Amino acid sequence: MDVQSYMPVQPGVGMEENFLSLDDILLSQERLPCRTETTFPRLGFLEKSSDTRDIPEGSKMEMPLWLAKGLYERKRRVLSVELPKVYREGWRTVFSADPTVVDLHKMGPYYYGLGSQLLHFQNPENPEIAQAVLQTFIGRFRRTMDSAQNAYNEDTSALVEPLDSLERALFRVGQGGLNAFQRWETGSASRLTASSLVLNYRKRKITDLQD
Amino acid sequence: MCRFICSHKKNVLMDPSEVEFLSEKETVTIIPNFSLDKIYLIGGDLGPFNPGLPVDVPVWLALNLKQRQKCRIVPPDWMDVVKLEQIRDQERKEETFAPIPSPYYMELTKLLLNHASDNIPKADEIRTLVKDIWDTRVAKLRLSADSFISLQEAHAKLDNLTLMEINTTRMFLLDSLNCMYKLRSNMQPGSGATRSQDY
Repeated sequence: MDVQSYMPVQPGVGMEENFLSLDDILLSQERLPCRTETTFPRLGFLEKSSDTRDIPEGSKMEMPLWLAKGLYERKRRVLSVELPKVYREGWRTVFSADPTVVDLHKMGPYYYGLGSQLLHFQNPENPEIAQAVLQTFIGRFRRTMDSAQNAYNEDTSALVEPLDSLERALFRVGQGGLNAFQRWETGSASRLTASSLVLNYRKRKITDLQD
Repeated sequence: MCRFICSHKKNVLMDPSEVEFLSEKETVTIIPNFSLDKIYLIGGDLGPFNPGLPVDVPVWLALNLKQRQKCRIVPPDWMDVVKLEQIRDQERKEETFAPIPSPYYMELTKLLLNHASDNIPKADEIRTLVKDIWDTRVAKLRLSADSFISLQEAHAKLDNLTLMEINTTRMFLLDSLNCMYKLRSNMQPGSGATRSQDY
């Protein structure tokens, strides 16, 4: 059985992040195209492309999600966040045509998470983004479910490859259910096996500890 | 902003062998070849056992006696080729889940066929039939899960589903529904947008 030494915290998926979720921490590194709405004095060294002392108003730059979320304010317009291209109109039509053909892992492995986080920035297209993200999930659900519950004893890397990190987690859960059942059905569940902790246990030598 | 959300959910799937354990409480008729007075157990009284006289006992005891060759197991009346064929045909015909003769049909079939196949006529056919029924039902379950998700329904009625069937897909379905719920609550405007400003 799949034993883990800690309980991984699930990603928050919605607009709230889970503070302790590794997926959400990685998600906060995703880059967003931004446009500055005020001058950032003496921060020109951050922008490698120009030699000015300040970052002038109206310059375009990419920022990680966590920074953009921190700087963004509705009342004082410090910066405006533009949509990454997967969430723009053009890609939304692709998703509504057939969500299963898109390689969501390549399109940014946190499609659902980032899509939800984008709703923090008051974009006029927010309702459409939320709708598109939800419909994409629903449209791809059948394939995730079928591949998770049918692939037994085979190489799943090709099946997993186009999945978003959220879908991958679901896929693993589905595989867990299938594998547990198959193990029971073939009778290997009733056979006792040595714990992986025992198998991997080696006595530590005093010399290893002194290094 | 990033509120610490306590994750109550323990990612534990009930193991199929635990489901099997529960099924061992079902009763089955045996014909003992020894005599013993009534035995008094917490779960109820069993016996008395007389050679040749059928008596109802839980499956765990029946299997134990069988392994020690102290009894013959009488298969439950649904464990019969004709009846199972009927069930299979009905299952294929109907769109919803057909009533199943035992809530533990899969587990009991496996237990009895593995340990007492000499007492069950046409054991191989029964094994295939039960597997057919299982496959049909699981395919139905998957189909209804998919339409449940794609129609964004809020509740579903799962009559006649057995524990083992629910158990194979439970975690997957629950996790998916959780994700869908969260993605759907994104569409309610203002639910989180104001909170992100409260530093």
